[in-house]
Amino acid sequence: MKLSTRDRLGDILSYAFMAVMFVFFSWPLIWLLSMALRTRKEVFLGVARLIPKYPTLENFTMVLTSSQFPVYLINALKLSCLSAVGCLIIAAPAAYAFSRFDFKGKGAWMLGILAFQMISPLVIMVPLYRYMSRLGLIDSHFGTVMVYIALGVPMVTWLLKGYMDGIPKSLDEAALIDGCNRLSVFIRIILPLSTPGVASAFIITVIAGWSQFLVPFLLITKDSLVPIGVGIFQYAGTQNASTIQVLAAACLISVVPAIIAFLALQRLILSAMTAGAVKG
Amino acid sequence: MSARAMSSRLPFVGAAGRHNRVPSPYPWLMPVILVMGLFYLYPVIDVFRYAFTDLTLLGGEGHYTLSTFANVLTRPELQQIVWVTFIFTAGSVIGQQLLGLAMALVVVRSENRHLFGTTILRTTALIAWVVPGIAGGIIWKMLFNEAPFGGLNSLLRFAGMAPVQWLSDPDVVMWSVVLSNIWRGTAFSMVVMYAALKAIDPSLYEAAEVDGANGRQRLFFVTLPQLRPAILVNMILITIQTLNTFDAIISLTGGGPGRATEVLSLYTFNVVFRNYDLAAGSVLSILMLIISLGLALVYASFLPKEEKA
Repeated sequence: MKLSTRDRLGDILSYAFMAVMFVFFSWPLIWLLSMALRTRKEVFLGVARLIPKYPTLENFTMVLTSSQFPVYLINALKLSCLSAVGCLIIAAPAAYAFSRFDFKGKGAWMLGILAFQMISPLVIMVPLYRYMSRLGLIDSHFGTVMVYIALGVPMVTWLLKGYMDGIPKSLDEAALIDGCNRLSVFIRIILPLSTPGVASAFIITVIAGWSQFLVPFLLITKDSLVPIGVGIFQYAGTQNASTIQVLAAACLISVVPAIIAFLALQRLILSAMTAGAVKG
Repeated sequence: MSARAMSSRLPFVGAAGRHNRVPSPYPWLMPVILVMGLFYLYPVIDVFRYAFTDLTLLGGEGHYTLSTFANVLTRPELQQIVWVTFIFTAGSVIGQQLLGLAMALVVVRSENRHLFGTTILRTTALIAWVVPGIAGGIIWKMLFNEAPFGGLNSLLRFAGMAPVQWLSDPDVVMWSVVLSNIWRGTAFSMVVMYAALKAIDPSLYEAAEVDGANGRQRLFFVTLPQLRPAILVNMILITIQTLNTFDAIISLTGGGPGRATEVLSLYTFNVVFRNYDLAAGSVLSILMLIISLGLALVYASFLPKEEKA
């Protein structure tokens, strides 16, 4: 392998670019961590104490032992997991039909489902808020989960359909010949083989649910029912410069679960997400 | 066989045993159709209906009228809102697309040359992408803190430069918001561009090499034309994403100072849920729908014909 000066120059430029980008993407997170570990005094010392001289975990203890934050976290976990399960139950049969059956207007149905994804959640929340308050579903986790599910279904249907397309049709045919009906082919053969696809769809929906703000902000008013996204927003509104380190700790706690969930299944999630965009 | 006996009653399994007949897909699609119909289609239809009324969230049945349309579309602030939305969207989309493409190109090149650090860079960018909008806004608010100890101003001071009024100067604040949005959104474009780059047929590069193309020519005559469909699809996706952005702005600036960063989605939210004006908010919702549909059609018309299949 010959190493021309041209290549070497290119390498140096690549490293420089990657270094600048790394600083850009990591600086906000590093700053957040640095703030969360500081005492009140060190907050006012800015970048000079990027690595705090007297690091403390007190901010985290304060957040985690407060009366509201653990409740916010549990509410968020509950809402996002229930909605992810709901999404899968609703989307999986449709994904199977889209993957296996040939029927008139299949392409139009699939595009139609995707088109909903273009609509801002805000648009549907305008009338939904009115219905929900009429139905008495304000301050109900059930109502909120149903809206989360509706927001997640298009993406999950496409994801699962894409995954099921990769499972050979001959498996279905063999099982049908052996006397299985469509439903049991789906439940006993296709679903178990789709576990990686189902898992990534589940995690993506959980992360999306964890990040939800608008829907619970509108549908949930009771502090004891609020999930973390809304909780942290309201908490931030009551903070001032002297408690910035506590807010940083709270913010970090609200972000870390999503990051861990994502990192755990990074490869699966990425291949699922890009498949659609690249195929066009 | 009890399963057999049951199957005659279940609509899905009518074709069991007779697999030469095509089974009906509709029982399988029913849950999705119900959910989407109830939570998307019906509300969207209602938005169009509300737009022709004078309904408020305070109750009352309202009357049908055309005056809401006229009233909303002639509001003096609307022009500024649309302008702010345009700057925010254009800045974010162009920034994310260019930076995402540049990062993907550099990452692919570095991987081919076995350079160190590509995985770390990719993972860091993706972590920013996973951060929820509200938390992202809070984090950037700390960075943009204008006190001397703020996350960016203390850096500037360290480098001997003058502090910037990131969030209180109306001429600067939009760029601060765009910057924070680029931080959060670029990873998606990077991943899409990366996958598209990897999908380019290597023989094209070999042919270009034989023809004596240099690096720049390879970029402009092979890579970019090959990426065209992926770039357009990506731009559609991030444009719609950006137009719908709401949480990252509400927690960073709340739309201020004044109306300097009040984008259309935030304005719609304020009209409906702060002023309780359901009818006016519905008109604005329709405006949002039309804008995103129009943009999607414009981008789609640039797609090469054979990609439309």
